[in-house]
Amino acid sequence: MFHAFDTEPPGRPLDRAQWMATLARAPLELLEPALGAHAQGTPQWLRAPETGLVMVQGRAGGSGERFNLGEVTVTRCALRLSEAGSAVGVAYVMGRSHRHAQLAAVADALLQDPERQPALDAQLLAPVRRHLQQLRARRQASAQSSKVEFFTVAREAGDAEGEDDSE
Amino acid sequence: MSALDLSTLGAGFSDAALGSQSVFRTAQHALSHPGRVVALAHDAQTPSRGHPASAALLLALLDPDCTLWLSPSLAGSDAAAWLRFHTGCVLVDKHEAAQFAWVAQGDECPRLDSFAQGSDAYPDQSTTCVVDVAGLAEGGAGAWTLRGPGIRDSESVAVEGLPRTGATPFAAQWSANHAAFPRGVDMFLAAPGQIVGLPRTTRIEQEA
Repeated sequence: MFHAFDTEPPGRPLDRAQWMATLARAPLELLEPALGAHAQGTPQWLRAPETGLVMVQGRAGGSGERFNLGEVTVTRCALRLSEAGSAVGVAYVMGRSHRHAQLAAVADALLQDPERQPALDAQLLAPVRRHLQQLRARRQASAQSSKVEFFTVAREAGDAEGEDDSE
Repeated sequence: MSALDLSTLGAGFSDAALGSQSVFRTAQHALSHPGRVVALAHDAQTPSRGHPASAALLLALLDPDCTLWLSPSLAGSDAAAWLRFHTGCVLVDKHEAAQFAWVAQGDECPRLDSFAQGSDAYPDQSTTCVVDVAGLAEGGAGAWTLRGPGIRDSESVAVEGLPRTGATPFAAQWSANHAAFPRGVDMFLAAPGQIVGLPRTTRIEQEA
């Protein structure tokens, strides 16, 4: 759910994969106002929003054998903005919200224009990153409250076996 | 999977279900009336290389389970990217392994018996070939006379600009294809806006 690129990389230029991941997890309430008029226009669809299943794979401990974790619902679309030249916006978004996929793709198309990038980054991506960080902090705090401190007591009387080995 | 260049890509059918159904209906019509020139209406933004009719036909027929072979001039063009993006089909290098083949006008068509022929048990596993030609007309000079299932007496179709098919003339290869029934390939001939169905059951009786 949370990724390393939720935090803004200082000094590094924006990377497309990074902003697509951020947009995919942005809440609609932040996307709608930030895109303004672009959110209302009718884009030219290359691939209208469609919902399907994607198999998610995991590795135990991040390094074990790959296994199928389960399927998630994903909505994807590809579009071209009517006025913004030839940039094609693509979005893959978890869930069934066609509107979310559309807005994420519109934002992706706009972000590919280097002139609009700084403004959109400040208006849209920064608030989304803040939101995701808050979400993560809240989750960590609620997990923290149920944390159990484990401690071990060293055994006083040494085992015969252990001492034999050392000698 | 290599990254596709989306910047020049055209859209598919405006309504994927209705658009492909209507093209599929046209394809069925063409195959059930071999030799009849059928206009193929569609609203897709077809790629620049290859005929629009054949692009729309393949867009309707292909899905991610299909393998497609493209003739050399199509393989490097936007047509390949367009079909990959919209249908998810698998592009193959060897035409022997393909379920569908698309030959552009001006490219050489491989020998018909080198395509997948299917087997007696599974004749459906043969290749369906879409071949771009310069023009299609019913009757006229140099027309073929077609006979077979789906044709009442005979059908006459003039094909202009058929691709080269190696050393053996097309008619001879087609009669060998017909003789191999139930095995053999099915073919669509496509002009820019029309198609002609040529199933393996059809005989080309005379070529002037």
